[in-house]
Amino acid sequence: MLELENVHVSLRGFPILRGVSLEVPEGRIIGLVGRNGAGKTTTLRAIMGLVPVRSGSIRFERADLTRLPAHRRASLGIGYVPEDRRLIGPLTVEENLLLPAWAIGMRDAPDRLRWIYRLMPEVEELAGRRAAQLSGGQQKLVALARALMPGARLLLLDEPFEGLAPAMALRMGEILRDLQLKGMAILIAESDLHRVSALAARIYTIERGEIQATGEGE
Amino acid sequence: MERRGMEQLAIILIDGLVYASWLFLISAGLTLIYGVLRILNLAHGSLYAMGAYAAASAVLFYFDRGLWPPGSYVALLGAALIIGIVAGPLIERGLLRWIYGRDPVYQLLATYALFLILEDGMKLVWGVNPYYAYKPYGLLGTVQLAGIPYPGYSLLLIGVALLASGGLYLFLHRTRVGRLVVAIIHDPEISVALGANVPRLFLLTFTLGAILAALGGAFTAPMISVVPGLSVEVIVLAFAVVVIGGLGSLEGSAIGALLVGVVRSLMVHRIPELELFAIYLVMALVLLFRPQGLFAIEEVRRV
Repeated sequence: MLELENVHVSLRGFPILRGVSLEVPEGRIIGLVGRNGAGKTTTLRAIMGLVPVRSGSIRFERADLTRLPAHRRASLGIGYVPEDRRLIGPLTVEENLLLPAWAIGMRDAPDRLRWIYRLMPEVEELAGRRAAQLSGGQQKLVALARALMPGARLLLLDEPFEGLAPAMALRMGEILRDLQLKGMAILIAESDLHRVSALAARIYTIERGEIQATGEGE
Repeated sequence: MERRGMEQLAIILIDGLVYASWLFLISAGLTLIYGVLRILNLAHGSLYAMGAYAAASAVLFYFDRGLWPPGSYVALLGAALIIGIVAGPLIERGLLRWIYGRDPVYQLLATYALFLILEDGMKLVWGVNPYYAYKPYGLLGTVQLAGIPYPGYSLLLIGVALLASGGLYLFLHRTRVGRLVVAIIHDPEISVALGANVPRLFLLTFTLGAILAALGGAFTAPMISVVPGLSVEVIVLAFAVVVIGGLGSLEGSAIGALLVGVVRSLMVHRIPELELFAIYLVMALVLLFRPQGLFAIEEVRRV
């Protein structure tokens, strides 16, 4: 479904990704594990088109993403949850969820919103609140819900468990498992192997911008 | 004596409000453009001046034809719209899109160059002699306010500013495109990742800002003699208001404009020598206590 082949990214002349290749198949959770600065976030950002790819290729289903403008990727069914959540503070939770629908003109937005609320009832309870007023954990769930709006096929999550209270982390894992069973492809960037080993079908270890090892999950 | 005091207070407030309306019109576009495009457009005053020139030409042409006088207000509005809709996209597509995300010094130099070009361009088109398009000003006569005759046109300016601010508010908070613009102001990158067509929204926002500047110029034209050099005065004042309010914040610009408007009016009536100083006094005081301005762009709490 998603395939990166020998992807190189340099920022301000420094090589950040040095030939990253990985594959995220349909209905699977894949882990990308590495220390801070190893290139996890940059890998996700390259898939979203937020950093330019110097060489190599990124393919999603039949589309070649490598040179596709960043704003046209969400509409292919890709959702992105950045590490620091980045909700739009002055807008309400529901407005945050609807932003991608307005941006790409989703016709089935009301249905999709209902579907997300069924999956995550705790987000529906927050619908009218301003995003800036939420706790960190709530923001994380809302950011996931927002990514699900356009992201019906592939989800990219950057440290989804970071800073979550244990109960909230369990809930996050449960939702991700649920999405996987619904056939979604999920790529999780994570610095702590233990957080993803139970979820992931395969784990890529990344170090200094290179994939070091590939292993099966538990 | 007390009655006279009340009258004077009323006049000071209304004068302040009129001036604040004008300040809001010249600064709203500047701050909106900064909020979205992150470019401080030094040529913003030139859009104002072009609006003023185009409006003066349109009004003179209109009255030369002997058309129905009240229609001249539509001519003012039309002139502003045409300037904004033509010049806005030309500037954004032709210059700004090449300098997004660059070093601010580079951006300032580029828009300063644009300002110089537009200044000479205006001299080529409209010459250096003043234009007097005062007729729409006189049409509204005077209104009795607190027993004192007050020019009706000044009140029209308040109306234009209220309409512009109300329209902007509704656009940003009630429409889909408007809320996408809000999202870009707060986080351009995540907006792109969510699918926002940023190049198109940049173009739209710049054009909107250009229309606002031209609108300010167009509705000021009947009150002044339109001469070369208008842009400079306007850009300095607009910068002051925008800095007071907080770069990128429309609410801030509205409050900043009111603050400067009323303080200046107070000075004009009580200590006229300090009229010009008033603006910088307000700016210095605000920056002393809130260096980011009154309403810095709100960030999502990062826990």
